[in-house]
Amino acid sequence: MASDEVPAGLWLIGIGPGDLEHMTERARSVARRCKKRYLEGYTAVLPTEQEALLESVVGPWERMMRPSVESPETLLAESRNDSVALLVVGDPMQATTHIDLEARCMEEGIGFEVIPGMSATSLAVSLSGLQSYKFGRQVTLPYPYGNYLATSPLEMILRNLESGLHTLVLLDLDPTGMGFDLPTPMSPSQAISTLEEMSSKWLEEGDGLDSTSVVVNEWEGMLLSDVGTKGQRVFSGSLEEISKIQYGWVHSLIIPSEMSDNEREAFSRRGAM
Amino acid sequence: MGRKEDNIKRATEVMHNRERIRNLAIAAHIDHGKTTLSDNLIAGAGMMSEELAGKSRVLDFDDQESARGITINAASASMVHGVDGDDYLINLIDTPGHVDFGGDVTRAMRAVDGCIILTCAVEGAMPQTETVVRQALKEKVRPVLFINKVDRLINELQVTPEDMMARFQKQIIKVNDLIRTFAPEQHKSDWQVDVAKGTVAFGSAYHNWGITVPFMQKTGVNFPEIFEYCNNEQQKELAKKAPVHEVLLDMAVEKLPSPLVAQEYRIPNIWQGDLDSEVGKTMVNCDADGPLSLMITKIWMDPHAGEVAVGRVYSGTIKQGETVWASGAGKAERVQQVSMMVGGDRIQVPGVSAGNIAALTGVRSAAAGVTITRDKDETPFEAIRHYSEPVVTVAIEPKSMKDLPKFIGALRSLAKSDASLSVDTNHETGEALLSGMGELHLEITIYRLEEEQGIKVNQSNPIVVYRESIAADNKGRPFEGKSPNRHNRFYVEVEQLPENVIAALREGDLGDGPIRTKDAKEVGNKFGELGMDKDLMRKIYAINATTVLVNDTKGIQNLHETRELIIEAFNDVCKKGPIADEPLTGVLVRLVDAKLHEDAIHRGPAQTIPAVRNAIKGALLRADSVLFEPIQKIRIDAPSEWAGGITRQLITRRGVIEDMPVENDVTCVIGKMPVAESFGFSNDIRAATQGRAVWNTENAGYDQVPPELFHKIVGDIRQRKGLKEEIPGEAQYTD
Repeated sequence: MASDEVPAGLWLIGIGPGDLEHMTERARSVARRCKKRYLEGYTAVLPTEQEALLESVVGPWERMMRPSVESPETLLAESRNDSVALLVVGDPMQATTHIDLEARCMEEGIGFEVIPGMSATSLAVSLSGLQSYKFGRQVTLPYPYGNYLATSPLEMILRNLESGLHTLVLLDLDPTGMGFDLPTPMSPSQAISTLEEMSSKWLEEGDGLDSTSVVVNEWEGMLLSDVGTKGQRVFSGSLEEISKIQYGWVHSLIIPSEMSDNEREAFSRRGAM
Repeated sequence: MGRKEDNIKRATEVMHNRERIRNLAIAAHIDHGKTTLSDNLIAGAGMMSEELAGKSRVLDFDDQESARGITINAASASMVHGVDGDDYLINLIDTPGHVDFGGDVTRAMRAVDGCIILTCAVEGAMPQTETVVRQALKEKVRPVLFINKVDRLINELQVTPEDMMARFQKQIIKVNDLIRTFAPEQHKSDWQVDVAKGTVAFGSAYHNWGITVPFMQKTGVNFPEIFEYCNNEQQKELAKKAPVHEVLLDMAVEKLPSPLVAQEYRIPNIWQGDLDSEVGKTMVNCDADGPLSLMITKIWMDPHAGEVAVGRVYSGTIKQGETVWASGAGKAERVQQVSMMVGGDRIQVPGVSAGNIAALTGVRSAAAGVTITRDKDETPFEAIRHYSEPVVTVAIEPKSMKDLPKFIGALRSLAKSDASLSVDTNHETGEALLSGMGELHLEITIYRLEEEQGIKVNQSNPIVVYRESIAADNKGRPFEGKSPNRHNRFYVEVEQLPENVIAALREGDLGDGPIRTKDAKEVGNKFGELGMDKDLMRKIYAINATTVLVNDTKGIQNLHETRELIIEAFNDVCKKGPIADEPLTGVLVRLVDAKLHEDAIHRGPAQTIPAVRNAIKGALLRADSVLFEPIQKIRIDAPSEWAGGITRQLITRRGVIEDMPVENDVTCVIGKMPVAESFGFSNDIRAATQGRAVWNTENAGYDQVPPELFHKIVGDIRQRKGLKEEIPGEAQYTD
């Protein structure tokens, strides 16, 4: 094994969403040939039964949570002399925060390479039947925290709508806001009520736009559940209908803008549960 | 007995006649005879036997208050007094004289319209009297003066009538100076007290007599006679000719305002709502019909009824069985009983109307300072202002763990009933940190826990609460705090707030907590009036005690969205500063710049809070962090032969002697001393003077810890808190 070990450095490896079948051959091979493997556990999450299979695919691994990734002294020290794989669910660079690892490795002269993976976001767009060129900036809905409730995700959706663009809405995984614990994905009902809270806060503060047009629970949406797994499901309907959905574990949401006839038909086809 | 019941009946009748109500407090220094006077007023009005008065102290209804000889709680008592054939209802609120309980004094003052300033003919007005009177005037409470212990002046000091008048004049001038300084603008002159106008009385509360010029004119009693009665030990006869309750209650009825008169000018001072609204008008008119508005001033524990909330009804009528809202409570509650207080007796009545003091049971969300209304959204009274901040802490825990649930419940009640007490309970270990105004304040609280609630506790030695601040600033050298993901950066500069602003913050004039965006302009203007940059202060985010956070950035997108998180980080640092995890004081924190990640998910609490916390802590260190310790003013009176021992005691305790006037062979040592050195002082001073010294203290702000003690004190605190021995440097907060 030692003979075909990859060069020392930090290998940021995307393992794709959901089932490990989505992992590329290159990702598998590099991960196997690294001396040490960590699974990043907070920006995205792997289904439990897939996590159990991971060792048989890539070899022994350890979990790494937010504090050790954000203060990566240990990770970098190990990568200086050995090959270290940081496995990230989905595509590593889709989690914008990981660009910081590149910067730190460059600063310290540590080898750094990214192995891209299939991303849940591109998968979601594919599964939606909507045209990929009509998507605007994607947003993530954070869990509310005390009195803190970000309204900028809602504002971004509104801006996309104004420009005739669909919005892919990812949902927060960490209700504590602290990134220490294993993820708890936001449920559809939490997501819709968070959107509603955002809109009432945003209306209250009354900053900008034609505020009367924001009636969140009258919007349409598409819910994509557990994409990349065998149990993946897509449902389209009103946000009110979506908020009642109980199945699934990890979800994302699409708020469509004005749809073309083709898109409308695709949307309707996904309405049958 | 029959007289007492008759009085109760008359009291419940006259309660509805607003012109005939007087709500008053007695403001005095400890040991100047306040409780004796209160009891004699109550006894004179027929609410208790005359023999008992002056000995039993009805208002001291906690056993331990009698034992200690000081009054701890502001309880209330209603009594009936006849003038020219008309009945008047006098609602008397007792106030504590000991300054450890300053919070109680303020609360009592809010509930009354007038007060009797009680001074001692021998000792004159004392520093604490000034504090109490200032609190009264601030609440627009009209004062009259009673000079007590005149018999001692005549019998012990053998002064001549001329001498006596000169002494009185001196006291009156001093009191009038106070009124001129602190009374509301329009009353600076007409509230001046004046012998000729009958707003000054003299007498002896203990011997139950008193006199005013109008009473002299009415009855013919004159000064030479008073001297004669005193000299011949005939004060009992004097008390029959000029009973103190009649003289003082006459004065209260004639000179102090009824609620009908007072609420018109007091409501705009103590209530921030719309005066043209229905409830506003009802309050200004002291109307018994219309919306209910009642402010709780005190909670006490009745052994039978549980928590009893006492408060002033400003408008409407509070009725038994009705459903009310306590401001800030999550649900409506039913009023089980409504009562009037007569000394130790709580007399149940169907309702209590505007202008009166009511006692309620059943409203569990009531706490001192809370407003009770029928409509959930009624504007509450502003938070009652506190003039003092906790300076001493003890750690306590129940001796037996089976008492833990009871212990936690009892502490919650205590914290509710005493706003100057702060309680921090660890529900798992059962340890609680009790912080208050002084050693005595905490001793009494623990006594209550042990004797009244029957929970025996272990306690630590008292610990001083220090304050962290800065000696310079870091203007132009902002400190950068990074979020753990390094995508968000906050830049902070800190500087000292001016003394006058700190004083205003301490008095609560500028508010506390987060400032709503729509209020920021008005709050900023108030800072402007105090000489600060108005445009800067209009960008205020929050106030925490005497520390202020301002958003001095320009045009940073999404910054507003992280506002709550920035404030939370600011509050964290206000609670625990960088040197020793002690609270911060007197600092202006300016957020001068920020770089934020575009996506909200990457600037959430886990990112923003530590980043801002680090930026503020680093800025404080860069601006020369210093430690302040609480100081108390001290005054010790003793026969001059003991003066040497007293000064030695003070000096070994890092005390400073400011003045030592000698009068009639009594030396008065005036100075100050760090609270940290004051523990056990009372025993030592008693030993050093064979118990001949009379002394009192008052919290007097903070002084910087001397540089030679800085490292030792900080080291001790850090060790006690289990922190690393070394004070962290700036580097700790750069990454």
